[in-house]
Amino acid sequence: MSLVFKPEETFRGDYTYRNSDAAILRFPFPFPEDRYMYSVNIEPHVRSGPTDAFCRPFDIDEHYIAECRDRALTLEQDPGRCQVLPHMMTAQWDTLELLMENMAADYPEQFSLTKEGDVFGSRWTWINRPLGIEQQFIFGDPDTLPCEPFEYITRQAQGDFAICDQREDNLYLDAGMITSQADWSLEFNVGMNFMEWHGPVPLAHQAGVFERALKYLLMLRLGQPVRRLNWTMSINPRLDTSPESYPAWGPDRASVTVENAGGKVHLRVELQTLWRLPRSNAILFPIRCFLISIEELARVPKWGKRLHRVLSSLPPELAEYKGLTRYLPATLAWLAPLDDGAELATGTGPDITELAPV
Amino acid sequence: MMQSQIVSRPRYRELAAEDTAGAHLLIVEGDTLAPGQMAALAAAFAPVADRLQTWLVSAPATALALGKVRKLQTVDEAAAALDALQEGFGIADRLYLQGTEPFMWSLATVAGRAGLSASQIRMQHAGSLKRRVWCTHCHQTTENVTTNIATCAGCGRELLVRDHFSRRLGAFMGVMVDAEVPGEVPQREEVFP
Repeated sequence: MSLVFKPEETFRGDYTYRNSDAAILRFPFPFPEDRYMYSVNIEPHVRSGPTDAFCRPFDIDEHYIAECRDRALTLEQDPGRCQVLPHMMTAQWDTLELLMENMAADYPEQFSLTKEGDVFGSRWTWINRPLGIEQQFIFGDPDTLPCEPFEYITRQAQGDFAICDQREDNLYLDAGMITSQADWSLEFNVGMNFMEWHGPVPLAHQAGVFERALKYLLMLRLGQPVRRLNWTMSINPRLDTSPESYPAWGPDRASVTVENAGGKVHLRVELQTLWRLPRSNAILFPIRCFLISIEELARVPKWGKRLHRVLSSLPPELAEYKGLTRYLPATLAWLAPLDDGAELATGTGPDITELAPV
Repeated sequence: MMQSQIVSRPRYRELAAEDTAGAHLLIVEGDTLAPGQMAALAAAFAPVADRLQTWLVSAPATALALGKVRKLQTVDEAAAALDALQEGFGIADRLYLQGTEPFMWSLATVAGRAGLSASQIRMQHAGSLKRRVWCTHCHQTTENVTTNIATCAGCGRELLVRDHFSRRLGAFMGVMVDAEVPGEVPQREEVFP
């Protein structure tokens, strides 16, 4: 896939973010059926999937440059969005290595990594052409980078990143670069164990989802990453829907009408992957966020109809937890005319290869 | 309100001495002591009485206590004393706390920094259900919150007090209640008396 970046688009203010036809068709749509409920929907993160967005370990798309710029803006206002507890330095280097190697391997026109050795103390050269960066450094020596290694590399990647330390048969959220989160606070959650940081999620605890997921993740093996999708909705294509900035974006939820819902209401999908890290034995948890307006989404007829059915049958506790309650009626009213009630194929793929012109 | 669907919300149990070989430190928020409670603690801690120190914080002058007793005026004073313990903590040592949640977590976070693991700390709630609330917007804390909605001492926003709890901060989360429609603030009710 050739990459044509859209460096000028914005995720705040005038919100000029849009998806090209190709970006719509590769969207990781999360609903295989007409109803949604929590499950331990974890599968191997292999180089294939229902759309192109699943096919590389660390996906990069047309929004790469603009997303990196938006992250830099958020960090400038609130440096606390990147936090690493002191015992996590080895995991920081593990993360930098994993990202640089995969980005260079999958996108050789954009990135390159030259290593004079694999062990700590080796001289490495990293080139990031889209962002105009060339950096020589000593792998394992944080003083040879402009900032700590985890912050350095995640400033150059799409999506949020957390690192979970594994001890006492639990996972602890001990590092994070979190600037595009679905309303959770790194400052509040940092240092929490797996059960604690999932504390507020309704219904899933009672179903035993987190016990099973934790058991599974504690056994995660090196070189066998796994993935799952999570979803919510956002008003406007805003990456920074943190609780910290909720006073700024909260009012948008009250601005949705049946007339403007198509462009304002966005489906927000997180492609979450989990990676065992080699030296630290920690788990890297990238949360890659994809945004699409329901107007764009509905250009894939199957997806527009299915979203209508999923939202119509959503348990009220989930709608409340995801913050949809206020604008759900307008969203459903916008989607309803598109849904003829026809039976839809199971699965999340678009089932078309080209979009009809608008 | 001591039980919650939200699993980050801590649960507390009646204190019982663990018969380990180390030192046992019991810190009690004295003004939460109900009549007869000290006698109950005495029975509970009898097995480790010779290795027990009791710190009574802001206790009435008449309160009797167990083992070697130290009287302290405020929770800040107790936190400083805990922080200054010269010997540090060993793996067989135990810390027992009894009092309100802000009291217990003020001391538990200090003990954690001093090297005590969570499994070495026992807590029993007593007294008011008042909460310390951490504002997700300005990151300041507001003390002695007894209502479902509280005015943030840092930024002045009206915060909805949630059950989500951070052990690191020793506080509950507060989120602006009228962010979506300014001025739409539900009735304030005393729910943590």
